[in-house]
Amino acid sequence: MRDYWLSKLFFDLQSPAVAAEYRADRAQLLERYPLKPEVRAAVEADDVAALSKLVNPYLLRFYFLMAGMPEDDFLRRIRAAGTAKATADERR
Amino acid sequence: MAELAGVFAASHGPMIVRSWDKLSATERTSLDNAFLELGRRITVARVDALVVISPDHWVNFFIDNLPSICVGVGEAHGGPPEPWFKAFPHRTLAGHPALAGHIVRTALERDFEPSVSYQLALDHGFCIPLWKAKLDPLPAIVPVIFNDIEPPFPTVKRCYAWGAMLAEAIASFPGRLRVGVLATGGLSHSIGEPDMGRIDEAFDRDCIRHFEKSETPALLDFLNQRLPTAGNGASEIRNWVAAHGAAGGRGFELIDYAPIPDVYVGCGFASWKLHEQR
Repeated sequence: MRDYWLSKLFFDLQSPAVAAEYRADRAQLLERYPLKPEVRAAVEADDVAALSKLVNPYLLRFYFLMAGMPEDDFLRRIRAAGTAKATADERR
Repeated sequence: MAELAGVFAASHGPMIVRSWDKLSATERTSLDNAFLELGRRITVARVDALVVISPDHWVNFFIDNLPSICVGVGEAHGGPPEPWFKAFPHRTLAGHPALAGHIVRTALERDFEPSVSYQLALDHGFCIPLWKAKLDPLPAIVPVIFNDIEPPFPTVKRCYAWGAMLAEAIASFPGRLRVGVLATGGLSHSIGEPDMGRIDEAFDRDCIRHFEKSETPALLDFLNQRLPTAGNGASEIRNWVAAHGAAGGRGFELIDYAPIPDVYVGCGFASWKLHEQR
């Protein structure tokens, strides 16, 4: 299941103008999107693992590229998200 | 009547452009040679128009309205909007509205209901192969977007049937026109998922073997079983299946396969053996 407004945010940020606005004042731009509090918190915390459950993976990858997260950092976080999920599944 | 002049496939990973300088000389040469051979074969086929089947990487469509299949019927299409792909020399690409319209009408007569667009932007999925193959001049492009990006996806069986319909549409198009089909994307890769960067080389090589043979039921069975485990990007092999359908299920000849970790993709290039007797 996708989170519509999170997906819309990431989709809109493909516009260079919107991306520039976001980089200049993230909080102000986030006000335009009715994100659930926990989703907004995950965006503000750059929480790759939490966001990966809510949005298409291509949009997720694009978003962190646009936001300036180094590629190695993104790879480490998304792989850790998979490991955490696998561990949780094993405990069930 | 028009003639199906060639059927081709090529990978389109964006890192082919974005990480080009990080690739080894051997990897760069391998990719360059594969794309150039692809371009040579398309040129030898003397295509006037090229139907290019690619996914849309969130450039034209969003989850507000996400077609399974969309045909670009416009007189012209926009070039790639990705900021890292400014090297692509065309800001617009000429379309072929008459052929595109005929494909749409044939599709409807054959119980397919494609979406239609008069104004598409063609992202790297379309333009990396066209650029790297050095097609000059570019033939008229009929873009066909398959949803390989966001589930639920069209079945591989349906993609094969779509390709067969496409061949019928080309063959029944009035006028002397040589038409090629180019499927882009694949083979295995994973983007934005926990296994990002994983290339499933065993899957790719099995997949290639199935495409080389003209055993379509075995190919579709294999993909139904293995496609979900070969990375989300492997979904783009649906486009190759449509090309296989357009080629009447004849096997393809592999141009090259190069699993390149810095590209994240098992890169494959092929052309179908259209003149092989069945």
